[in-house]
Amino acid sequence: MSEKPAVCVRIEDDLLAAAMGEAASSAAKRVERHLTTCVSCRREFQEYRAVDGAVTTLRKEPPPVGSLTQSRERLETRLADLRNRLLIYRIFPSSLGHILIARSELGISLVEYLERGTSLRASRLSHEPSVETVEGGADLEAIYRELLEYLEGRRRRLDWPLDLRLARSDFQRTVLQATAEIPYGAVIPYAGIAQEVGKASATRAVAQALRWNPLPIVIPCHRVIGSSGALTGYAGSKIDIKQRLLSVEGVPTAKKAGVLGITPQTMYILYPGDREYCLPTCPSLHTRRPSPLTRFASREDAESVGLSPCTACRPDLHPISH
Amino acid sequence: MSQEAFESVVSAHHGEIFRYLQRVIGHAGDADDLSQETFLRAYRAYGSLPGEANLRAWLFAIATNLAKNHFRSETRRRRAYGEMRASMRETVETAPEAELVSRETGALVEGVVRRLPLKQRLAFTQRKIHGLDYEAIGRSLSCSAETARAHVFQAVRKIRQALDGHGLLPEEPER
Repeated sequence: MSEKPAVCVRIEDDLLAAAMGEAASSAAKRVERHLTTCVSCRREFQEYRAVDGAVTTLRKEPPPVGSLTQSRERLETRLADLRNRLLIYRIFPSSLGHILIARSELGISLVEYLERGTSLRASRLSHEPSVETVEGGADLEAIYRELLEYLEGRRRRLDWPLDLRLARSDFQRTVLQATAEIPYGAVIPYAGIAQEVGKASATRAVAQALRWNPLPIVIPCHRVIGSSGALTGYAGSKIDIKQRLLSVEGVPTAKKAGVLGITPQTMYILYPGDREYCLPTCPSLHTRRPSPLTRFASREDAESVGLSPCTACRPDLHPISH
Repeated sequence: MSQEAFESVVSAHHGEIFRYLQRVIGHAGDADDLSQETFLRAYRAYGSLPGEANLRAWLFAIATNLAKNHFRSETRRRRAYGEMRASMRETVETAPEAELVSRETGALVEGVVRRLPLKQRLAFTQRKIHGLDYEAIGRSLSCSAETARAHVFQAVRKIRQALDGHGLLPEEPER
């Protein structure tokens, strides 16, 4: 077998590139000149062109329609299932410790204080068989920034779309929805929420539902307190966090006889169903049936939700001095 | 990420990815499974994808990675070759006579492509069938664009060598 001439070996790569239409113009010209004098390279070039042509016919070949359609249908089904199960999460540092934020396609589904570590293993998500988790989501950064603004008192609302599917029951979901309505700077007793959801005697069940609130801060269960004004529980035993969240909103708290609670004498009062807010000393309150009261840290907080000052006790003329 | 946004990704690219995997895997069922997995993985990571990312190249990279993992099993590789040979025989035997010659050449090329070393096969299919650029092919194979190009060129050389004698060109008259 005869050896290829050196000139043909040197031009081999350019020849192939030219046959595939990928050679730079200088290389293509060099190949063109060489092909006018070299029969064997010309044949090689034509063979490469023929291979390229055969590949072009393959490229145009359509996929088998039946199997493609079936594959697409199967994919749609599996994607729908994944969409239902998938949660994108990230873990962020905050002044309240590490917080995990997770979202589904429907909205934010979990805000969790991590106690036992800074990874997913410390989260309740690692024990949720119904969900699949994946870390990431640049959009969660924006959510986190809003949360920080809220914790620093620079934001009063967290208007995120929420996904309550991690709630444990319809009752818990109803309780969470009622709790989400408590205004900024206000507190209400557990009994008030029980009344709100139409189960006035279910105070303990309400407390239990809020203990497992999957969206603390966003659904402000920290604004729900005991009938005595005691802060009672928060996400287990994190009562210090509850106090910090309330103080961000300007709700005054103090320890009395070793129990941490709000200071009711320094807060404005809303009787259920009223559109006017009162001073705690309002004479009208003494004539009415005892009922769970909503209390506001400031007149601005009360008026920001459309309430007016009571025309009897006139909190606008006699504001509480803090 | 919105459901609608990913729906449009599936609509735009599922057919091509399915076809790509069918070409490199050689077994329709496995190609279907891998194309499903490609899009399920893509869905999981879609929210973290930078806005300027080349979506098509990204999907090819996921599919290529899955194909590489698939072929780590020697048993599967043997099965794929067996099915490819059977499909080639069937194609050639049942085709109308007029199409026989060109389809035979195409089937032969496909056959040679499936016997190429894996990286050459993946690079060649991405470049010559699906028209991806060498940068994207390099990323999908974890190599440089230059190396990706070398894989494609090597593949074309092997195809030409393998087809030698199968009448790519009419015989030139003796001079």
